[in-house]
Amino acid sequence: MIHFVLLISRQGKVRLTKWYSPYSQKERTKVIRELSGMILTRAPKLCNFVEWRGYKVVYKRYASLYFCMCIDQDDNELEVLEIIHHFVEILDRYFGSVCELDLIFNFHKDSLVEAAKEQASSISNMIAQATK
Amino acid sequence: MGSQGGFGQSKEFLDLIKSIGESRSKAEEDRIVLREVETLKVRLNDPNTPKYKLKEYIIRLLYVEMLGHDASFGYIHAVKMTHDENLLLKRTGYLAVTLFLNEDHDLIILIVNTIQKDLKSDNFLVVCAALNAVCRLINEETIPAVLPQVVDLLGHQKEAVRKKAVMALHRFSQKAPGSVSHLVSNFRKKLCDNDPGVMGAALCPLFDLINADVDKYKDLAVSFVNILKQVAERRLPKSYDYHQMPAPFIQIKLLKILSLLGTGDKKASEQMYTIVGDIMRKCDSTSNIGNAILYESICCVSSLHPNPKLLEAAADAIAKFLKSDSHNLKYLGIDALTRLIKINPEIAEQHQLAVIDCLEDPDDTLKRKTFDLLYKMTSSSNVEVIVDRMIEYMISINDSHYKTEIASRCVELAEQFAPNNQWFIQTMNKVFEHAADLVNAKVAHNLMKLIAEGFGEDDDTADSQLRSSAVESYLRIMGEPKLPSAFLQVICWVLGEYGIADGKYSASYIIGKLCDVAEAHPDDDTVKAYAVTGIMKIYSFEIASGNPVDLLPECQSLIEEMLASHSTDLQQRAYELQSIFTLDARAVKKIMPMDSTCDDIEIDKNLSFLDGYVQQAIENGAQPYIPESERLGISSISDFRSHDVHEPSTHALRFEAYELPKPSLPHNIPPVLASSTELVPVEPSYVIDIPHPTSAPSASDTGSSELKLRLDGVQKKWGRPTYSSPAPSSSSTDLVKVQNEAPRPDSASSSKPKTRDSSYDSRKQQTEIPPEKQRLAASLFGGSSKSEGRQPPSQKNSKTQNHTSDKSRSSKASAPDTAVKPSQPPPDLLDLGEPSIASSVPSVDPFKQFEGLFDFTQETTPASTGGVDGASKDSDFTSLFADMSLSAQSNIDPNPESNGLGGSKVEPTSPQLNKGPNLKEALEKDALVRQVGVTPSGQNPNLFKDLLG
Repeated sequence: MIHFVLLISRQGKVRLTKWYSPYSQKERTKVIRELSGMILTRAPKLCNFVEWRGYKVVYKRYASLYFCMCIDQDDNELEVLEIIHHFVEILDRYFGSVCELDLIFNFHKDSLVEAAKEQASSISNMIAQATK
Repeated sequence: MGSQGGFGQSKEFLDLIKSIGESRSKAEEDRIVLREVETLKVRLNDPNTPKYKLKEYIIRLLYVEMLGHDASFGYIHAVKMTHDENLLLKRTGYLAVTLFLNEDHDLIILIVNTIQKDLKSDNFLVVCAALNAVCRLINEETIPAVLPQVVDLLGHQKEAVRKKAVMALHRFSQKAPGSVSHLVSNFRKKLCDNDPGVMGAALCPLFDLINADVDKYKDLAVSFVNILKQVAERRLPKSYDYHQMPAPFIQIKLLKILSLLGTGDKKASEQMYTIVGDIMRKCDSTSNIGNAILYESICCVSSLHPNPKLLEAAADAIAKFLKSDSHNLKYLGIDALTRLIKINPEIAEQHQLAVIDCLEDPDDTLKRKTFDLLYKMTSSSNVEVIVDRMIEYMISINDSHYKTEIASRCVELAEQFAPNNQWFIQTMNKVFEHAADLVNAKVAHNLMKLIAEGFGEDDDTADSQLRSSAVESYLRIMGEPKLPSAFLQVICWVLGEYGIADGKYSASYIIGKLCDVAEAHPDDDTVKAYAVTGIMKIYSFEIASGNPVDLLPECQSLIEEMLASHSTDLQQRAYELQSIFTLDARAVKKIMPMDSTCDDIEIDKNLSFLDGYVQQAIENGAQPYIPESERLGISSISDFRSHDVHEPSTHALRFEAYELPKPSLPHNIPPVLASSTELVPVEPSYVIDIPHPTSAPSASDTGSSELKLRLDGVQKKWGRPTYSSPAPSSSSTDLVKVQNEAPRPDSASSSKPKTRDSSYDSRKQQTEIPPEKQRLAASLFGGSSKSEGRQPPSQKNSKTQNHTSDKSRSSKASAPDTAVKPSQPPPDLLDLGEPSIASSVPSVDPFKQFEGLFDFTQETTPASTGGVDGASKDSDFTSLFADMSLSAQSNIDPNPESNGLGGSKVEPTSPQLNKGPNLKEALEKDALVRQVGVTPSGQNPNLFKDLLG
């Protein structure tokens, strides 16, 4: 299960968050701080998974933006990596050619993430949904 | 669609986002946000704000909240917006509430009604929005309010609604399994939905349900196999393809479900072999998603009933993963390997070098995964290398979460596979020093127990050597600042028990040290208690042996301090210590016998030895004792026991105590008290006069007779930490003790630590050299996979012991000449894997092995090179037998050679070697230590289980 999704810029600025498990505002700040410290410092060629407090965080960097998803210990990391990629592809299609600014300015469209979470659905379905 | 300004936001909004995007510091960002918060507060509360503006404000509020600021003042407006008729506003409202609120928020109650209404809406978009909110916001109490409608929606004509309804039900079953247990059949039905999306959504709840109770869903195995087949054959609409893979996410989910259904079920597994095999073949291993499916298939194969063909395919896939340059794939490869070695330990061996590479990789994640793998494949033969590595890593990290995990793994492995006690103690010391507060307290007790029981048999010298080395190491360590409490407890206990046992340190020295500990930790009552008990033991040993004792000034002040302590426990210990000094040698000897921790203590629970006194007291008019069970509400004896721990709770909860008729309290205590006061003037004869002198009045029931009366409670409270267990197996009697004292030839144990250390050193120095790596590989893998056919890559004598005993047990009980066998160099060479290595680098590699083993000095080189031939020959020889289950002969045959090598030539440099353990001894020791709980690996049943699958 995905616990939360974070989009962090390379400077550690939060671009988008989505929490699927309850975290208080304080915890959220802490999580973001901890994770951005961990993930932003990782060298480029290392693997895209980080173990963190008994969870796993899968991240992927697109240009200057890091997409991070926190998942359970026994989830399939590569699959989640692809979900991230899938998500980015969808964003890309939705915005034409997605860039960080798109996300910043349209952060409220994050029901997309919800849709992407429903891994099974097809891209076209999702876009149809998102545009409505 | 343009990105900026395309969605009707005002300029103001764009400016806000821009300025935050451009802000240079967190402080600046905060300032901007706070200003925005003020604006929003005013605007939102303004009744004249037009609705379309309100929508933007809500979105701006979301932004504020996302940046980590409090936006709770606007929640109510978001709630209000969900009531709106306008679809766009409604959806924005729902989006906002799902993000702002959680299921326990007070405002939820205001939304439930709206949700109920919207679930009935004609517009499916409204229904979808409401269902989204249901997933996020409905809690256990409000489930019934929407449940019927959600169930109805399962039959909605729009697949998007059906899908969301399934998800909502899934959410309900996660939150309150009871609330939807009668609806489980719906999930099954939805599996046959026309829309693959709905079917895929139904897989998630089914996965959870199957995970909880496999047996109920066995019948679905066929359906899942069919679905998977259809998916793999691309029967789903094209739109489900992702990177040319047909519906990969559904495939992965299905594979997960299949592996649950197939676990331990041969019949179900057989149905799945074909499809899983097909999928593995079809996977496109150039794309990530293809590899994700491949990985999931491997996981599936590893949990199905083993099938040689699939296992082979899985092994191939793992090989591909490990050889890949991508760290992600390596990571998955290691993980998959971890799963597969449970079934087939052999396959780890092909990948030893890859694994070592991963272990030394700078990537922490990969490293940890590799430690997981090593943890799973640890056996008696490689435990030292692995645990050593783990500890090294543990020391280097700060992440307390992982530190805890790795520390407990070290402990577990050490307890399970420890080749000898010395090593175990040293390992534990290291773990304790760095992570004592993170490991289970039981571990500390096990350590004390081990030190107390030692080898536990007829080798007292080894025991005392073990103890004095423990004492020595502790004296050295205890000077360090900031030792964890649990470790200090162990130190204090060991010093108290064995500090002066070998006569190397004077009593006052040890006592001084213990006083230091107590002083240095004024806030830690437990440590102080251990320290003062340690002091007490030392004093009583001194008194008992007739030495003159004088109370050290610092000890005196410590006692005084403790007498005034808030902790009754400390007070009591201090009183006991004081009273020791008033007793004479005989009494002290009786109450505090030397080295008696391992003896069983027979507790006369009825306190029958007091019968006389009680009788007398009753005759004098005292009330008879009323047993606890016949009283009501009196805080029971057990409360005494756990005084410290439970005191608050008893006070908080047990109101009845006050309602009790008062008389019973004074009446049932008096007999006890009376007798105790009678006893207080302690006469030396008293102890002897006791009808049943409790066979080994232990360390803790010290002199004061008051204690005797509370023996039961005191035992429990003190007993455990002080002498952790009266080992059930080593019967308490003196008889055993006598056996224990039977001399044993100067054992190899004393030499072990040294040899091992040196072997480690030599290894460390050359970490970078490939042969080094190979050797590490050998020490990690050689034993684990083929230890049946080979000797484990022992680096020291102790393993040999285990091993011999191993052999003797499995094959032949009597192998007389093994007794003279020195530790075996050949195994090391064997475990290099390929004999060719040994011969290609003849003088370097094996030599290092020997160096590690025997502390060789340079001039012995000829000897070792001489040995190489023999050794490589050995390896050839044994490799012939590799596949056969081990016979004693295969083992013994190479030995004479090794004997000649190790025994004769090495002797001058390391005399202790020729005193290698004899077989019988090893066997006995092994059995004993096993009872003690610190299992010497070789015997471990788990090992064999692992090996044999």
